Amino acid sequence: MKRAIIFSSATAAGLAGVLSFHTAPVSLTLGSVGSTAGAGTNGAGSPATSSPPPTTTPPTTVPPTTTVAKKATKSKKSTSSPTTTRPPSTTTSTAPPATTTTVATGIRSATGELVNYYFGVLSVSVTVTGKKIDSVKIGQLSDGGNSRSQQIDQMSIPILEQEAVQAQGPQVQSVSGASYTSAGFVMSLQSALKKLGV
Amino acid sequence: MRHHEEEVMGTIVTFDLFDDRGFHDPAVEDAFASAADFLHQVDEVFSLWKSESPLSRWRRGEIDLIDAPGEIAEVLERCRVAVEASGGWFDPWSAPGGVDPTGYVKGWAAQGALRRLARLGTRGAIVNAAGDVAVTGSPSGTDPFQVGIVNPFHTSSLACVVRVRDAIATSGDYERGPHLFNPFTGDFTTQYASATVCGPDLGFADAMATALVVGGDPVMELIEDLEGYEALGIRRNRTWEITPDFEVASEVAL
Repeated sequence: MKRAIIFSSATAAGLAGVLSFHTAPVSLTLGSVGSTAGAGTNGAGSPATSSPPPTTTPPTTVPPTTTVAKKATKSKKSTSSPTTTRPPSTTTSTAPPATTTTVATGIRSATGELVNYYFGVLSVSVTVTGKKIDSVKIGQLSDGGNSRSQQIDQMSIPILEQEAVQAQGPQVQSVSGASYTSAGFVMSLQSALKKLGV
Repeated sequence: MRHHEEEVMGTIVTFDLFDDRGFHDPAVEDAFASAADFLHQVDEVFSLWKSESPLSRWRRGEIDLIDAPGEIAEVLERCRVAVEASGGWFDPWSAPGGVDPTGYVKGWAAQGALRRLARLGTRGAIVNAAGDVAVTGSPSGTDPFQVGIVNPFHTSSLACVVRVRDAIATSGDYERGPHLFNPFTGDFTTQYASATVCGPDLGFADAMATALVVGGDPVMELIEDLEGYEALGIRRNRTWEITPDFEVASEVAL
């Protein structure tokens, strides 16, 4: 059995302490907030106040505990191979791919959504041939003249050599592991690629 | 969808709400304000950049823990759990200069802000605090959120996309250079290029991601043993490893 990490409801008391600066104490669940599906079922346009509040347990004085149990069996981990398993790039043929959806061929460009970054707003422009990314650059950037963002402005963004795997991958709603600036870059790039159907 | 940005904790924290229904603007603004206020309150208590914050004063011995806001003791207790679970590879007490729970607090605060947003009752919501991401619900109503993980070797692209049901945190020194303290070597060396942990508690995921990037393979083994927490570790030689239930939605490509 795997080891469980449990933070007890002593935490709810702590959080209620912080929140009581402003309002009556609100009890909170720990860990997963849980699904919001089903809350606010009055249909389109109804005010948010019709949603039922989250259900919780009241705070207790039980100190935090952890339960520790050794795992009985060990599952196999997935690992990478040291070399890429991606298939080699195909020819430069412009014939449509053998799928039911057709992809426009020829050289096309699009600019992604304007996204906020720390110093202002930016958007990313991408040029593709078919599904292959040819170039990526900052399409628009407003920075209030901040010197760090000049760096981004002049930065030469390397041509993406790999097949646009990430671009063809699923859409993301957020990015982890990036400072605020580069996350914005990635999201604008994704929106430009989505416009091109890549 | 509604978006809000709050400058706090030395970074910009973003809130995103997902719903097709029209929510009255005052209700949305109230929810954003409530979540933002919480972050500022946490910053006032925990910021080590503020010399008069309760945490700073306690570290200097000016106040006892029992006289400080209760959140400090609570966070320190949670950090102790993380120290033990990480085999000591995450250790706020080893930081030069005194105990520094910052690695836990950011995620803990982001998830607390998310709870405030969740009261609005939208189909889905995200809080992103400089890469520590907490989510609730679903963007579409059916599918889970999908979060991109930055490629540490090429930071304008993604290493992979992962399905996230509660929280995800990524750690690495590829942006800021060596800054993650290694409690066993006493310097700032890290074994992995980057490490990502998903699980129910964002503060804990943040702490474990830090431990994983600093300690590498031994920490991967520890995380495998934890219920509800999954991880991706990317080594400097471009090999990678995931725990069995890490929900990749795309190939890992580095």
